[in-house]
Amino acid sequence: MVRGIALQREAGFRSFELRVLGLLKSSPMRQALWLSLLFLLTSALSLGVTYYVAHNAQERAIQDSLIQDMISFRATPSAQALAVLVNAQTSETDPRRRLLSYRHPGGRVIAGNAAITQKDEGFRLVVLGADPTPVQGSFLLLSERIHGGLLTIAQSAKPLHDLRETFLRVFLFSLLPTITIAVLGGVLLARRAARILADLDAVLSRLTSGELTARVAPESMARGDLARIGDSVNRMAAAQESSMAALKQVSADIAHDLKSPIQRVAVQLADLQQIEDLPVEARQIADQTIVETQSIVETFQSLLQIAQLEGGSPKSRFVPTDLAAIAATFAEIYEPVAEEEGRRLTLSLPDQPVWMLGDKGLLGQMLANLVENALRHTPEGSDIAISVSQNEQGVALTLRDHGPGIPEGEQQNVLRRLYRLEQSRTTPGSGLGLSLVQAIADLHGAGLALENADPGLRVRLSFAAVTL
Amino acid sequence: MKILVIEDDKTTGPFVAKGLRQEGHTVDLVANGRDGLLQATTADYDILVLDRMLPGLDGLSLIKTLRGAGQRTPAIMLTALSGVEDRIEGLEAGADDYLVKPFAFGELSARVAALARRPGYQQQETTLQAADLQMDLVHHRVTRAGVDIPLLPREFTLLEHLLRRKGRVQTRTMLLEAVLGINFYPQTQLVETHISRLRGKGDRPFYQDLIENVRGAGYRIAA
Repeated sequence: MVRGIALQREAGFRSFELRVLGLLKSSPMRQALWLSLLFLLTSALSLGVTYYVAHNAQERAIQDSLIQDMISFRATPSAQALAVLVNAQTSETDPRRRLLSYRHPGGRVIAGNAAITQKDEGFRLVVLGADPTPVQGSFLLLSERIHGGLLTIAQSAKPLHDLRETFLRVFLFSLLPTITIAVLGGVLLARRAARILADLDAVLSRLTSGELTARVAPESMARGDLARIGDSVNRMAAAQESSMAALKQVSADIAHDLKSPIQRVAVQLADLQQIEDLPVEARQIADQTIVETQSIVETFQSLLQIAQLEGGSPKSRFVPTDLAAIAATFAEIYEPVAEEEGRRLTLSLPDQPVWMLGDKGLLGQMLANLVENALRHTPEGSDIAISVSQNEQGVALTLRDHGPGIPEGEQQNVLRRLYRLEQSRTTPGSGLGLSLVQAIADLHGAGLALENADPGLRVRLSFAAVTL
Repeated sequence: MKILVIEDDKTTGPFVAKGLRQEGHTVDLVANGRDGLLQATTADYDILVLDRMLPGLDGLSLIKTLRGAGQRTPAIMLTALSGVEDRIEGLEAGADDYLVKPFAFGELSARVAALARRPGYQQQETTLQAADLQMDLVHHRVTRAGVDIPLLPREFTLLEHLLRRKGRVQTRTMLLEAVLGINFYPQTQLVETHISRLRGKGDRPFYQDLIENVRGAGYRIAA
């Protein structure tokens, strides 16, 4: 239970992490971050320069005041008098603001505050804080030799410190919120853009899967370039939908206009057969004509079906399908026919189901076409082997026969509609079987390869692996 | 039975009507969708035979309207459109069966008979019988005159299909769809071969042939 919660939490965290990563990858988010960084750098630079100038001016002011101070001490007549003055002033001034110290030339006698006593002349910045000094803080001090001793005057550097504080505050209270707003805005924009892109992506994959009525919703479109893309997608989809509708209409019209007369022919032939004293010969002609009309219809139906498959619309019926089960079923259905015609149909399947996304009826029709093709073009007594295999790359359906095969240069030609090899002109068939196989393979995004199996033909269909 | 045929084609309509009348049915023939709808709603028919493309009101809309109004009369749709999608569309609209043009009359006749008996075949039998042949549905066993006939699963299904429809012709297309699950025209003698296999096991060794070949139509086991 506890472990479950921990796992759940981990999963939750991971999905959060993924979302953040996803956002960082989106271009609006990256742009927002870059702009924020640029803004931060520019602001920091200009603030830094201003601080530097202000700090220098402040320091100069303190130094000037120290120099001024020093001049008044120079006016004392002797070291003795200077020490007395230093002591007098030390007791009068606020040690947090001003400190003095004077070291006698020969001895150790020191007037004022010993903590700031220096060894050399010049300006210095010191920080007081350690015992035993009662005063703390940073001080700017000036030392100068007067009457052989060293006089040091220190003035609080608090204004400098305050200046730094002020600048830091300016930085914290103005710049950071600005940047936070920029980043948040970026995140919001990025999420919005990501949502629109996800919508576009979803619509596109619905369209490619044959759902031609899919459209990008107007409310999910932002203004600007994404809207234009959404618009184009919608226009493209509408064009494809109307061309599919046109194809359907044309197919329906042709079907109707062609089949109605054929139906009438069939009716008249049936009437003819009913005539009682019809000569046997005439009856045979009628029978033969019925068979011929049926084959016209079948050829025509195959052509229509290929056109419809190439239009791509049946994709919306794709469901998880076990290719091994289809192969097993059709091998079983065709086994008696193969035996009747003196061929042996063998089947080799993996132990597990072989799942793929597809249209079960069409896949069966494809396999039936391949088997019938093999039955027609191979010598009696030969083997026809069906196999299904699966690896990480995908799923393969292979049918191998021991017939004459297809000559090297003709392998692409036999996939063309109504094309027939010279060698098989005399065998029955419409020349549409392999075209239909190709169309069904294309619809499933499968590769179709015709290979020379020496002897015989190997037809290999490779489907992409799917995770269900 | 009383059958309404809605077909605008001037040859096919009368041909269907004549054939059905010869089989002893009472047939009304109308040539457009609007009249068809009116006729179907005002008179009481056992079966509707309608074309998909009709002037006035097309067959799909007609059947949808009928079903929308609660009319359940079994309907066979005749059509020039043979795609699987067209078939699905037709069945979804409410047709009970779907027959692609051009069709032989035997095919239509067999389907009319199948539709007419549809509601009857709901009871759960455990054995089926024809002459001296017995099929045990529970143990998947077939005997003839007491002799065991070992059948493959597909042969068993085929025999069961014919036995359940004793006396009615089952056409090649009907058997393809129902027994082999195939919705396209195979280029080989699939049904014929399966029937001949079944005959080899179930008929040939015995005196009387049970599976009849009905010329120009299909197969049947006599009632």
